[in-house]
Amino acid sequence: MNAGLPTENILELDDVHVFYGAIHALKGVSLTVREGEIVTLIGANGAGKSTTLRAINGLNHARRGSIRFQGNDITTATPHTIVKGGIAQSPEGRRLFPRMTVIENLEMGAFQRTDRENFQADMDRVFELFPRLYERRTQNAGTMSGGEQQMCAIGRALMARPKLLLLDEPSMGLAPIFVEKIFEIVREINAQGTPVLLVEQNALMALDAAHRGYVMETGRIALEGEAAELKTNEAVQKAYLGLE
Amino acid sequence: MTRLGQLAEEVRSGGRGRTYAIAAGLILLAVIYPEIVEALEDVPLIGDFVPGVDSMVVMIVFTMMAVGLNVVVGYAGLLDLGYVAFYAAGAYTAGWLASQQFEQVSFSFFSPTHNDEPGIHFSMWLVLIIAGVFTTIVGILIGLPTLRLRGDYLAIVTLGFGEIVPQFVRNGDSLGGFDLTNGTFGISPIDSLAFGSFVFRTQSNRAELFYWTAVALLLFTVFCCIRLRDSRLGRAWVAIREDETAAAAMGVPLMRTKTWSYAIGAFFGGVAGAFYASFKSGAFPADFYFNISVFLLCMVILGGMGSIAGVILGGMLLGYLNVEGLSTIGTKLQDGGLDFDPTKYQFGIYGIIVVVVMLFRPTGLIPERRHQIELAEGVHDTPFYDVQTEGAMTDRDRSND
Repeated sequence: MNAGLPTENILELDDVHVFYGAIHALKGVSLTVREGEIVTLIGANGAGKSTTLRAINGLNHARRGSIRFQGNDITTATPHTIVKGGIAQSPEGRRLFPRMTVIENLEMGAFQRTDRENFQADMDRVFELFPRLYERRTQNAGTMSGGEQQMCAIGRALMARPKLLLLDEPSMGLAPIFVEKIFEIVREINAQGTPVLLVEQNALMALDAAHRGYVMETGRIALEGEAAELKTNEAVQKAYLGLE
Repeated sequence: MTRLGQLAEEVRSGGRGRTYAIAAGLILLAVIYPEIVEALEDVPLIGDFVPGVDSMVVMIVFTMMAVGLNVVVGYAGLLDLGYVAFYAAGAYTAGWLASQQFEQVSFSFFSPTHNDEPGIHFSMWLVLIIAGVFTTIVGILIGLPTLRLRGDYLAIVTLGFGEIVPQFVRNGDSLGGFDLTNGTFGISPIDSLAFGSFVFRTQSNRAELFYWTAVALLLFTVFCCIRLRDSRLGRAWVAIREDETAAAAMGVPLMRTKTWSYAIGAFFGGVAGAFYASFKSGAFPADFYFNISVFLLCMVILGGMGSIAGVILGGMLLGYLNVEGLSTIGTKLQDGGLDFDPTKYQFGIYGIIVVVVMLFRPTGLIPERRHQIELAEGVHDTPFYDVQTEGAMTDRDRSND
């Protein structure tokens, strides 16, 4: 156990089943995220990692099982109420609004917020985390490089003042130098108090950053444990870390 | 700051004073137009092409509908091929509430018509508002089942509703024996706008009175649309237009936001429809064909989707050609000995205009700011720059790190 970390569950998935038409995509996924943690979900393409996130944020509803956030059942809640409740995300492929400026994208992140007074402070905080974004603030998001776009996507999610941050493949398609930077930032965001659920294909980097991890295979959780333990697990090493 | 940053800043803040000056000038010109139209008609060469005040009313009505349609198509990015349904709903509301259609009853409310005359006669001003509200409700009712669809599917279903409404009014003369719409003959006459006993239609300057009312309605529409564009709702529309899934992930309630765009677009269509019905004193099913929907859509695309100034320009231009421009040109051609009547080929001509504009100015005559920047600097449709260069640092990285 990570000593000193509170052990309260902020997010609990219990036996979640998701279907795409007749395709049984998630076959009973159970996982938890506790206060203050970085939890990573690793696995191969098509294992169901992104589907799990889509079940959490309400874009695909679970047909069976339950999802609880801070004790409230959000299994069938709509995406906007879930965002309002405090779960923000940086979606797979970043999905910025290409013809909005960086600032406008960040403003969209705060769409469900009703408090205006902390807005500027939060924007400043994002610019502090990502000075590059400040330089590009009036630029259209679609014209930035992939790394900058990923920064913008994470910054946009932070603008919601999330109680839980979902990151879907933040390292996808990025230059190694940006991957390092992104994971550094994820740790920093977490150190400032936001729990993070991190979906990654880059298992090595993800396990380095996370406290705990889950390994997914074909719609099921195959393994779970402390990140450090998973890193030394033989099966994980073989399948995901490229070590023999 | 980058070149693009400067450009964006310039487009946004710079030239704002100039924009206001141009807008004020155009409004002034629009208001005094009936006074100067005769002088304009005497100008050599262009004089014959100056639209009369009557024609201007029709042009403005269609422009107003185009600006309303722009909320749906331009702002929210929802392709609506059945906007004519809202126009029809507005016109028939006027027919029901300000004519002798329901002769079984005799009711007058702030109308110059006497209480003992048959039919329902609300004040036409009130009818404009009621038509707007009624059409908004129609828009919500049509929107709720259809807006769950995306892209092409939505377009096809709106096309269906655009056909249902005119068919309904054409066949609505015997709904269980009740004559709701007077069938193919339509409802006519419809009351004129009036202040007390000052009835516009009976005045010698009736065209001018309707014209100024139309200008006021268009200004109101434009004002509302500008305010909406800059509002939280307007930003949500743009977000849905740019990326629907991302918008949902940001907490934009998709159905509610899309339905609002439909409802607001419908409102202006309804008001314009009721006004037009009062102007020409009738609502006829033959006016509500599919080609009107496409015609309005052409105005929006020609002017520049999402750009209010562009849509006004596109609306006035196509409206002018439709109302009298083409026939004036035809007369000129025949005077010159060329036997060609452009009015016979009007939709072919509009089609050619739209194709030419799409080829040379794909974002419209006056593009919206977002599209304008895209045209100047380009947008990476596939933003995986790093992947393409196989992980190499970009020029930008080099200059910053």
